[in-house]
Amino acid sequence: MLLTQEELAKAYTIPKKPEVVRRQRLPVRYHVEDFDVAERPRRFLQTFAAILKHTNYRLALDHYVRVSAKCSRCTTHCQIYLATGNPKDVPCYRSELLLSVYRRHFTLSGILRGRILGDPGLTDEQIQEMADSFWNCTACRRCVRECPMGIDHGLVTHLGRYILSEIGIAPRALVVSTREQLIGKTQNTSAIPLPALIDSLEFLSEDMAEEKGIEIPFPIDQEGAEYLFLAPVSDYMMEADTLMGIAAVFRATGDSWTIGTKYYDAINYGLFYNDHVMEEVLGKIHAEAERLKVKKVLIGECGHASRTAKYFYPSFCGGRGAHPVINILEYTYQAWKRGKLKLRPGAITEPVTYHDPCNIARPGWIVEQPRELIRAFCSHYVEMTPNRRDNICCGGGGGTVSIDEIRPHRTTVGGKVKAEQIRATGAKYCIAPCANCKKQLRELMEDQGVDCEIVGLHDLLYKAIIFGESEGGAEPEAAGAASRDEKGD
Amino acid sequence: MSLESWLDFARGPLFRLCFSLMILGLLRILVLTILGMKEAWDRSADKIVPWRDLTVQTAKWLVPVSSLWRKRPIYSAVSVVFHAGLLLVPLFLPAHVLLWKRAVGFAWAELPQALADWLTLAAVAAGLGLFAGRVFHSAARALSRRQEYVWPLLLVVPFATGYLCSHAVLSPRAYQWLMLLHVFAGNLILLLIPFTKIAHCVLFPLSQYVSGLAWKFPPRAGQRVAETLGYADRPTWVERPRVATDRILTPTEEA
Repeated sequence: MLLTQEELAKAYTIPKKPEVVRRQRLPVRYHVEDFDVAERPRRFLQTFAAILKHTNYRLALDHYVRVSAKCSRCTTHCQIYLATGNPKDVPCYRSELLLSVYRRHFTLSGILRGRILGDPGLTDEQIQEMADSFWNCTACRRCVRECPMGIDHGLVTHLGRYILSEIGIAPRALVVSTREQLIGKTQNTSAIPLPALIDSLEFLSEDMAEEKGIEIPFPIDQEGAEYLFLAPVSDYMMEADTLMGIAAVFRATGDSWTIGTKYYDAINYGLFYNDHVMEEVLGKIHAEAERLKVKKVLIGECGHASRTAKYFYPSFCGGRGAHPVINILEYTYQAWKRGKLKLRPGAITEPVTYHDPCNIARPGWIVEQPRELIRAFCSHYVEMTPNRRDNICCGGGGGTVSIDEIRPHRTTVGGKVKAEQIRATGAKYCIAPCANCKKQLRELMEDQGVDCEIVGLHDLLYKAIIFGESEGGAEPEAAGAASRDEKGD
Repeated sequence: MSLESWLDFARGPLFRLCFSLMILGLLRILVLTILGMKEAWDRSADKIVPWRDLTVQTAKWLVPVSSLWRKRPIYSAVSVVFHAGLLLVPLFLPAHVLLWKRAVGFAWAELPQALADWLTLAAVAAGLGLFAGRVFHSAARALSRRQEYVWPLLLVVPFATGYLCSHAVLSPRAYQWLMLLHVFAGNLILLLIPFTKIAHCVLFPLSQYVSGLAWKFPPRAGQRVAETLGYADRPTWVERPRVATDRILTPTEEA
């Protein structure tokens, strides 16, 4: 166990009024909008049945209840368990909460055994435990790589949260943001009105013109552009430097890109709690891509938004024929590889480290690209250990970073392992190309007293871009452009 | 019935029954899983599956050379030895190979007796070690169901009795009792395999692909779920409170 008793006590304090907890019969730390508590177990099972009927989860659950060997290997990989030492935080224990319901109510042997033993089945207490446990997990899926049986605890958590949300149990922070995004006036999770967005983009352009002496635009509603760019919308308020870096990269490469005015938010909380939400949000991206007749969808520095788009856009928006989805790190990397983007070596001399966001690194998708880029313009790069696909989550994954009331949990139980990992590198900058990770890591550095500045990759890259030379035809002799074998996307 | 006829029964008809049930049971879950995978594939509009990565992950655990040793190396080593004993000894012990040859007319290569003996002893030690590990590791205890404690002990029984029967100096009666225990335990194991976690002996190679396919969400599934539940017009993002779909009932128990 890594945490002190005081830290644990603080982390698990429920910040809600006791009467709310009593009324909702839900002793969890996150706020939940009022919902119907009557006959919760029956409705949970009805929802579970409906989901099993229409989705592919049954395949996984059938398999998991058959092979789960309870070997406890995942104990070595879960940062939550490593922090608390509480057996209830072991990934396999968490999954068993839902698997046991599945076994009891949806397999023949379970139903028969229930009848014979007179077991009444799912109880309200079990639902309460799931509501708590599934939101203690950061859905980072690190344990998946350590499970010999191939059980995807991230998938089980995902399903558990989906079922719970359909009976009304989901963090209010996420639900309210999603409501604004799907049926609100502004159509985005941060409720940024379009005029404000355009204002701030113009402001950023002016800023850059002043600094760099050239016009660096944010193209709006450019029909037929190559890329539709979607940032996690909170970036427009909190990560101006990242956006400036991205605009500067496009200015240097000369490729056409655009931000759509009808829909401009990449955030998709559906990944964290509800498949229906996920599909609706992707549908909005799809509609905007169609409206502007773009060729590709480009997601900004955001882990979950990138993973949702990359891995689920084809599911919901046209299979193989869907718009290709790429992440901005891939774009920048390829531009640099091909010599379309030139970076000044040694532009950053302070020690820099890199945090792999779970959602883009765990599947092995974006791992080496940012490292090569960083080495091209930072003279002092340090790795944290473990890294790459085995990296430790920032502690705010799975949507938990957006739940402000659980910050004490996130920056102790969730993030203490991470804080020590960053502290050990001695880096001045920690690059975290993900809006979620950035917010969580900043809070973590503050609460754990680590002196390290959290930045996006494009924040630093902005300082290293060399303009002018590459315009009107790519010169292949830029730093690191030795291998130009890649083509297409 | 005499001890001998019990033994003949256990080695003959009972073994054949248990063995057949095991094969049928394993075939059943294997076929069901493959059909499930097919269904998931058909339902999904997205046919982009990272086959290569899933195969690498499968191979990594099938031949655990690197992945096991980084964390908890002793546990890993014991587990590998246990699996090696469980797989090799029953199938390739010279005495067992001989039995197969007599029964079906053909057989396969056998392990050197000395190696088989060592593997047997190692499997017994490993089984007891794993049991102890489970009992004394608090996280493992929290995870364990009844079968988690029963299996390592049950698996040790035929190994221990088999070793004693072939090496200890025993009275004929003691030998027969031990042999009876050996065969009955073996039969019980065969019978239980398809219905317990040991089913992983055939399902294991499919695990990664199953997870990979389960992440493929069928289009419009969310909408259909809402329709099935009767609130298609009130999805989760619509303002609450949403009430029970058919009738409103009072809470069954109030805190």
